[in-house]
Amino acid sequence: MVEKNIVEEKHLSLLQKRWLKFKTLKRGYYALVTLTFLYCISFLLPILINNRALIVSYEDELYFPILKGYVPGQIFGQNVPGEAKYRELRKSFKQINKGNWVFMPPYPYSPFEDITTEGNKMYEPPSRKHWLGTDNTGRDVFARLCYAFNISISFALILTIINYLFGIFIGGSMGYFGGKFDLFFQRLIEVWASLPMLFVIIIISSIIKPAFFLLIGIYTLVNWIGMTYLIRAEFYREKAKDYVAAALSMGQTDLKVMFKHILPNSLVPIITYFPFSIVAGISALVGLDYLGFGLAPPTPSWGQMLDVGLQNMSKWWMVFSPIAAQFLTLLSIVFIGEGVREAFDPKEYSRLR
Amino acid sequence: MIPTFLGSTVLVFIILQMAPGGPIEQIMLQMQMGGGVGTEGGGGASSSMTNEGMSLPPEALKELERFYGFDKPIYQRYFVWLGVMPREIKHRDFTFPVNETIYETRVGKKDGKIWKVDIALLKDHELIVTEKDQNSRSLWHAKVDGVNEDGGLDGVIFQKEYSGILTGNLGKSYTYLRPVTEVMKPKFKISLFFGLTGIFLSYLVCIPLGIRKALNHGSAFDFGSSVAIFMAYSIPGWALGGILLVLFGGGSFWDFFPLGGFRSPVEIWEGMTLWGKFIDQIHHMILPVIAWSIGSFATMTILMKNSLLENLSQDYIRTAFAKGLKEKRVVWLHAMRNSVIPIASGIGHILGVVIAGSYFIERVFNIDGFGRLAYEAILSRDYPITLGFLVVVVLLRLIGNIISDLALAMVDPRIRFK
Repeated sequence: MVEKNIVEEKHLSLLQKRWLKFKTLKRGYYALVTLTFLYCISFLLPILINNRALIVSYEDELYFPILKGYVPGQIFGQNVPGEAKYRELRKSFKQINKGNWVFMPPYPYSPFEDITTEGNKMYEPPSRKHWLGTDNTGRDVFARLCYAFNISISFALILTIINYLFGIFIGGSMGYFGGKFDLFFQRLIEVWASLPMLFVIIIISSIIKPAFFLLIGIYTLVNWIGMTYLIRAEFYREKAKDYVAAALSMGQTDLKVMFKHILPNSLVPIITYFPFSIVAGISALVGLDYLGFGLAPPTPSWGQMLDVGLQNMSKWWMVFSPIAAQFLTLLSIVFIGEGVREAFDPKEYSRLR
Repeated sequence: MIPTFLGSTVLVFIILQMAPGGPIEQIMLQMQMGGGVGTEGGGGASSSMTNEGMSLPPEALKELERFYGFDKPIYQRYFVWLGVMPREIKHRDFTFPVNETIYETRVGKKDGKIWKVDIALLKDHELIVTEKDQNSRSLWHAKVDGVNEDGGLDGVIFQKEYSGILTGNLGKSYTYLRPVTEVMKPKFKISLFFGLTGIFLSYLVCIPLGIRKALNHGSAFDFGSSVAIFMAYSIPGWALGGILLVLFGGGSFWDFFPLGGFRSPVEIWEGMTLWGKFIDQIHHMILPVIAWSIGSFATMTILMKNSLLENLSQDYIRTAFAKGLKEKRVVWLHAMRNSVIPIASGIGHILGVVIAGSYFIERVFNIDGFGRLAYEAILSRDYPITLGFLVVVVLLRLIGNIISDLALAMVDPRIRFK
């Protein structure tokens, strides 16, 4: 009770109150914590899941292949062409037992090494060695899954943020200035919106093979509309309110009124829409990759894994793992979205979208 | 609406026209690979393309460009494609002899007789065509292509024809070498069949489920179905289709359903009894339709539930209860009528989305449908089909909007068309 009183005395801002409310919604809160944690961890993947050793101690000298990159095998007395094979190196060091050692990442397989390296086999079912088996070219499914997690979330995050920038700028101007400017963009949006978006993206990606940021650019090109409409409506409503007139009468510039006064007051739909926008972004990336119009092939991606998996239907691990990864990720984001919505825009019942 | 349609066709046309790797490049590529390619019509361009491993001779290239209309600026191509400008067909080259003003040439046969025309040269390099023995003077046209080295004029004679998307002609497919509409028709039927079944089933499930959830808000049933809805929302329909196939398609687990396809192969299909066909069709359709309808399952159920809940908390419901009406009457007559409004307004919209988004499911289940056709058209750069697909989808969406408006007017007494 004492604690509660203190909290009340502090005169919390609206945002803080909403955050406290969000924390009480366990499902969304834990989903947010877990996902944030996993996403942060996923930036450390090169030292967690990799076939390059972290540290090699060879004849009383320490090597850090993970930092240095390519280290030829001859340096460690390994008779192989090209780069050292660290998993074999560790085995041979142990057998010889001369005080040399190799410190490998916890999961010593890289998402890119295929059948050509170190005794990888195609279509290996899940085992203690390969947690989720290997795919049609002998690549470790679990390693690819984890790297794809990072790429998917990064893609959706960057995509959504860029979309928001466009949406806030264009939609805000449409709602704020109104008139011919508004009308022109409305017609433009109407035309854009009548096209099947994903199909247009596929057409464009079939013409130019897109890399990560190019794909985001293409996607933004067709995806800014939803956000723009949302912001436009919000600005339109807010503009009629007294505080805007007050700010204008005090001689504030249009830009300042838009972004300093109106924007903070129209944050609710912007924030509550965010998680669902991420869900859409991830789904789209997986879909595009599945159709073969997404990121370029060696990039680990759930969609590409699914594509290969569905071509080898009897290897169930190749289908289930990417779907499960995508499903769990999206599910937790939906939980977050639901929690955020409830904290920001309390209604009695839950709503999707 | 019509401006919207035209605007979107302009956009798509521009995007596609800027793309490299059109039909001409494809034919050149195929020639370099050593394979012969026969282009229908176009006036014997293919027969002259015999030099192997090299690029096309310039005449043949010109012939091809003419055939596909690539010798024109982009805005003209657009209008031709739309059907408001004439399309030039049946090109024939001729050379005007030096210092002559009239030239007679054969253009083909008509009614069993050789069809000849006179081409008269006016000043300023203008050409006038008169047909011999025929009354229809305006069928053939001619224009000057350039002056050759002898001083004579190179010209081309052609027919004009108004045909484009506005007259229902979507052009001819580069890969199938048949009219696009003809290629699309059977595939569209398949997709429509699946789409309508899927929509129907999802309405059949979602509306009662949403109502039940709203009436039992907060109960165990509500909670349990919410979990299912969250899961359905987090998995795309085609990915679910993949799981279903692996589980029930006879890969590593059970073998209940076929691996894909619209129905059994034609040879087996023809030998079946009517009842057998019926069973076979359903057998093939169960998994795809589940995958198809899962997409709208979550949103529609929640929409139904929320709109009913919102209405139930309104004052007029309290008034109705206060009047002493029975709960059944209040819920089903008063609240329901207002609650189906958002559902009804989405009814037309869904159709366009379902048809347009079918490339995933059709690819997973190997169904030879509309979306798959479009997907393969993009892969093979078959622009008439790609454009045709977009035209059909945009039209479907616009029609869907009209259907939505009509449905809305039907269920919402406040909206009336004048």
